[in-house]
This record gives sequence, structure tokens and C-alpha cells, in this order.
Amino acid sequence: MSRIRFDFEDNSAVRLDGVSLSYGKNEDILREVDLTLAQGSFSFLTGPSGAGKSTLLKLMYLALAPGRGDVCLFGRSTRLLKRRDLVGIRRRIGVVFQEFRLLNHLNAFENVALPLRVAGQKLASYQNEVEDLLRWVGLSERIGARPSELSGGEQQRVAIARALINKPDLLIADEPTGNVDPEMSRKILRLFMELNKRFGTTVVIATHDLGIVEEFNRPAYHIQQGRLRARRKGGAT
Amino acid sequence: MKRESPLLPESDAREAALFFVIGALCFLAALAALTTRGTYAAAAAWGDQIEGEVTVILEGTDRRIAAEVTGEIENLAGISQARLLSREEIEDLLAPSFGPGGLPEGLPVPMLIAVQVDMDTADPIPGIEIVLGEFGVAGEVGTHAGFAAHVQNALAVLRLVGFGAVGLLVATAIAVIAFATQAALLARRDIVNVLHLSGAEDRFIAALFARRFWGLATQAGTGGALGALMITALIVFLASSSAGAEAELLPRLSLDIWDILILFSTPVAAGLAARAAARLTVLRALKEVR
Repeated sequence: MSRIRFDFEDNSAVRLDGVSLSYGKNEDILREVDLTLAQGSFSFLTGPSGAGKSTLLKLMYLALAPGRGDVCLFGRSTRLLKRRDLVGIRRRIGVVFQEFRLLNHLNAFENVALPLRVAGQKLASYQNEVEDLLRWVGLSERIGARPSELSGGEQQRVAIARALINKPDLLIADEPTGNVDPEMSRKILRLFMELNKRFGTTVVIATHDLGIVEEFNRPAYHIQQGRLRARRKGGAT
Repeated sequence: MKRESPLLPESDAREAALFFVIGALCFLAALAALTTRGTYAAAAAWGDQIEGEVTVILEGTDRRIAAEVTGEIENLAGISQARLLSREEIEDLLAPSFGPGGLPEGLPVPMLIAVQVDMDTADPIPGIEIVLGEFGVAGEVGTHAGFAAHVQNALAVLRLVGFGAVGLLVATAIAVIAFATQAALLARRDIVNVLHLSGAEDRFIAALFARRFWGLATQAGTGGALGALMITALIVFLASSSAGAEAELLPRLSLDIWDILILFSTPVAAGLAARAAARLTVLRALKEVR
């Protein structure tokens, strides 16, 4: 009989224990992945396209369940959690999706406010907060624009603001600098680092931009053919 | 900010098609319910009329004695009216059996007394037979019982068919709404996923779709019910302007309180069905994602 494990010593934000995953009967995309990200850590996840970076992140933000192994978030195994408990955990996670996933019928303000709105907060309680965040990402003039009226970089910044509005304990970003110029890339990364430093937010960023990984000098993990390795300085794994 | 946009986008062409389908189904369901009720009411009234009528056939007597017998029968308890039919009336009744040439000259026809029986009192037939005995007249009392039984059986079948038709239409409407909800969910899977991953509870997402389909179905149902109301009003108008026997063929639609209740309840029932179907479909679909 399975038992729920309470690990009071576990201060990790994310812990993957022997996680494997395949889609259908295909070959494993992830193979026996073990990974622990301490609360308040800042890490990069690198690897070529199709290596399994996005899949690994999906496990972390609970879009997927592992085929084998266990995903623990904030010290709790998610394997045996009920759906309503998963909602509580999701609200502690901010996600910047690779393809933004903005809702086209909502404007920039409404997209950013979405996590607060679905949590039942009223407009009056978050209006200033959302406007401040949009101003911070340089979109104060585009507050009423819909995604179709925004450039790729602007959409990306809206997506980032949406991920941050909840002041998440864990921020997961899938290629957050993929559609912005180098200056904006650095600005976004500095924002993530500031969040990490000021609020202790755990940050994990998937990127193929090794220049940024080298420049920001943070722990990095490299994934290739479904296997995860710690990446050392200079690119060795 | 003035006002928040709805979390689900405005309706699209698919929902316009669904609006039409639900409206048409509600129109048919309301019309079927009204027609079933009207037809049943007309048949029930006809049945009551038949059951409340007795025919006395007199043989071997003249018209004067028959008139006296008629007067005596009318004085019996439980009899509201007794009327001796004229020869012309009797010939009219028998004409279908003799074709367009009518009855042969000199053919003896029986005397007929049409008796209206008060349905609330005890069986009046023994009293009629006593009157016939007192006058020494040979006669037969026909109660139409067999015919009335056929009418009652036909009414029961009619009621079953009517309820069946209405039930089938309601079930079809629910199935259509459930399929449409699934289609809407597939088309808006991206929105559902974003809401889900943004921390929305399943019931929150289900409530969005339930509200959307409640509104759509009640509006469509109102349109359908209004259509049924117009058709009903037309039938009532035709029935009231037709004084002849053809009016008897039309369902007895009156637009009374029960008919109005059917018309009002149609959009509400459609809305509730849509709401429930949408909610269940969305919850079931969300169970398949983590």
C-alpha cells in the first residue's frame, strides 16, 4: 500500500526522484531523472531542441505526471495529492511558456491579471499592482492592447509579467529570452535574479543560449537524450 | 479599467449554429407539448361527451307515444336532457350506410331518443327501462360503452406518444448541447489549459462554460418558445374562426395558464439542461488533464 511521505527535513522547492516519462509506447523522453532544486536557488536548464527540457519543466509545473518516479514540490510528493491540492501548489508557481500562451481575447492588463482573477481576487484589489508590473516591464503604454496588437517581444514581457504577478515561490521559464533582443534578455534575467534575491523565489530557466548561462554564472543542468547531468563551467557535463 | 472582459471569448459561428439548433429543438418540444396537451384535452372532452350520452331506440310505436316516453325520461333523476330525434336527423345519421341515394322511400326507421346523462349521479339506465316498461314499449338502451372504451384506449396511447415525443426532443436537446460543449472545449483547449495552469479550479472553469451555455440555451429556448407561441396563436385563431366541423379536427389549444407555463418553462428547461451538460462535460474533460 502506498503511503504519503512527509519529509519535514526537505527544504527543496523541486525534487525529482528517478523520474521517467514517455508519450504512449514511444521511447522514454526522460530517463531516471534525479534533480533537487533548493528553495531560493537559481538554475539554468540547457540542452538541444527535443532533448526533453520542456517536458521536464512540464513535470515541474504539473502539466504532466511522471510515468515512473516522483515529483516533489515544496517538500510534498505530488503523486498522491488530490486535484484540489494540486491547485494550491500551482498557485505558488509562475510559468513563462515558450509560446507565451496569452489569451487573445484579453488585453495585456487582463492577461497579466489572470492568475489573480482565477484565484477569486477583485479588480480593485490588484489594479495598481498589475499596472505597476506592466510599467516595470516597459508596457505601460500598451496596457489595453491585445496580444495580436503586440510584437513578439512585447508578448513575451506580458507573459513574464503574468508569471510574476502572483509573487510565486517557484518561477519556471521556458526560453524566456527567445524572442527578445540581447538588451531585453539581460533585463529579463536581471529581473529574475532580483526576484530570486529579494523574495527568495526559486528560479529555473530553460534556455539554449549558452552565452547567458556563462554570463550569469549560476548552476546549470544539461539534458540530452532524456538524461540529466550537472553542467560545469566551460560547458563540460 | 472600466470592466473586465469575460474569460471565455465572445460567441463564434459554431455557437450561432448551436443557437439555431437549440432554438429549433425548443420550438419543436414546446409545440409537441402544447399539441399533445391540446389534442388530449380535445379527445378527453369528446370522450366525456360520448360517455355522457345514451341513445334509446324505440321499436313498434308511434311518434306521439315516443314523445311521451321522452318527456318521462327527461323527468328522471340523473337525466339533464332527453330529446326525440326528428326523422330528418335520423336519416342523416343513417345516410352513410345507404350511400348518396339516401334511404329508400317507405323504409321504416326506428325512433331515437338522445339522452344527456348527468355524469355525477348513479346509473340512470334502470330508470329508463322502467319507463319503457310502464309505456309497454319495446326498446333498447345504448350506452356507447364499447366505443367510449376505444376512445379511452386511444387517449392513453395518445398521451404516451405525446410524452414520448416531448421526452425524445428534450433528450436530443441535451445530447446536442453535450456534444457542442465538447466541441467548444476542444476548440478552446488552449484557454482551458492556461486557466488550469494559472491555478483555476476545475469547478471555476466548468462554471465559465456552464454560464455561457446557460445564457445561449435560454436565449435560444426563448426564441423557440416564441415561435411555438405564434404557431399556437395561429391555430387558436383558425379554430375560433372555423365554426364548422373542421374546427373539431384542430387540437383544443386555448393558451391557458398551463400552456403559458409550458412556454415559460421551455427556455428555463433548455438552460438548465445546457448548464448541467456543460458542467459535466467540462469536469469530465478536465479529469483527463493533470
